[in-house]
Amino acid sequence: MQHCTPEQLALAALREPLPAEDSAHLASCDRCRAEVRSLQRSVDAVAVPQLAAPGAPVAPPPRVWEAIAAATGVSATPRADAVHAPAAVAVAGAPTPPAGDADVLPFRSRRRSLLLVAAAVLAGAVVGAGAVAVVQGREDGGEPVTAVALDPLAGNEASGRAEVVVRDDGSRVVEVELDAPALDDEYYEIWLIDREVAGMVPLGVVRPGTQTFELPADLDLGEFPLVDVSVEPLDGDPTHSGVSVARGELDS
Amino acid sequence: MSEMLAVRPVRLGSVHSVAESGQAQRSAAQPDDREIGRRFAAGDEQALALAYERWAGQVHGMAVRAFGPGPDAEDVTQQTFVSAWTGRAGYHPEKGPLPAWLVGVARHKIADTWARRDRQRRETEAAVSDLQAGPSGRVTAGVDTEIADRMLVLDELDLLGQPQRGIIELAFFEDLTHAQIAARTGLPLGTVKSHIRRTLERLRTRLEVDGAALHA
Repeated sequence: MQHCTPEQLALAALREPLPAEDSAHLASCDRCRAEVRSLQRSVDAVAVPQLAAPGAPVAPPPRVWEAIAAATGVSATPRADAVHAPAAVAVAGAPTPPAGDADVLPFRSRRRSLLLVAAAVLAGAVVGAGAVAVVQGREDGGEPVTAVALDPLAGNEASGRAEVVVRDDGSRVVEVELDAPALDDEYYEIWLIDREVAGMVPLGVVRPGTQTFELPADLDLGEFPLVDVSVEPLDGDPTHSGVSVARGELDS
Repeated sequence: MSEMLAVRPVRLGSVHSVAESGQAQRSAAQPDDREIGRRFAAGDEQALALAYERWAGQVHGMAVRAFGPGPDAEDVTQQTFVSAWTGRAGYHPEKGPLPAWLVGVARHKIADTWARRDRQRRETEAAVSDLQAGPSGRVTAGVDTEIADRMLVLDELDLLGQPQRGIIELAFFEDLTHAQIAARTGLPLGTVKSHIRRTLERLRTRLEVDGAALHA
């Protein structure tokens, strides 16, 4: 086959998994591998946990400010109580990883743990879903169904289960069982999302409890395997809010 | 980075994020982060104190993660705020939020401390082998390649414009995939990929040119 594209090689340098064809080619092509290695030098230089985005804040002792004031000649003073109980401010709008997590992450094994942290505010991090079960041969009609657990994301209380059922007329529905706190001025919405996170199919508004959603005919579930529950503000914006509270991956 | 995020607040929509609820809890009398950034850049001393109140914990958290609690970590935090203040002309509020910039400065201070330690170790070793080898067998105290690379990369990152810098920082320091970066920033996948490619090429060039010079 052809060589990998320059863009794919750059992603490989970041240790992103490539599509199967590209990764097979890469494994056997010295030229592409050399390119990845040469791009990887800068990636590796800073891929250490100490330089990763800030994790748990630690209040510096008062002498640190004293030294700063002495060095700069600044006479304004921070409120001691504010520094000692720093707000969990996320730099650059990034989610703050839970305390104690950030300093033990093996940063070189990329694309895993931090993703879980980031998932709650991303419109579509691909998260390894929890228990995925394929139940076959339903009693009430013998239609095969796929069931998936909806796991809470990043400390949310929402969880549940989604089941794809093929009805006798050949149409498909998703039965969603959602266990989540009631919302004020916001609502839950259920989505099917693809792995590239480029495409999302909104299935509708969902309340805590059990509900059924019709699937568009011919929708390829293999293409949109992520079942996602988001919290949407009442802002009239039809796009995903970016706030996902529970998710599971359909086994296709 | 949140400069880019601000481009598409709808996609971001972190209504429930820790950041924003933390923000909301602060009293209305307190200026917001953006305001602090502007005043910091303008040289308002009160803004340095406010920035310290708000972000010293994060910076010190990074320093402690790198060096453990103690004098080294305290030095990093101190130096971060001192150089941020004295170098505030290099901070441009329109290019990104102050805390992200402070974190960038802290990364430099951490890398500097590693380099200093490495140099001291090598000088000690060189002195020892000088003693053993006599005046003819001088050993030069060089710099460890990885440590030098790290400083060069951090330096080059400072020279990047937006959105290139934000994109590569999300990949490097937040471990996001290109798809996640696209989702986070609202930029098209193809754009994110080509920025990543070009930035990695640029960093490679910097390492090849200056890295080689360092070791020559």
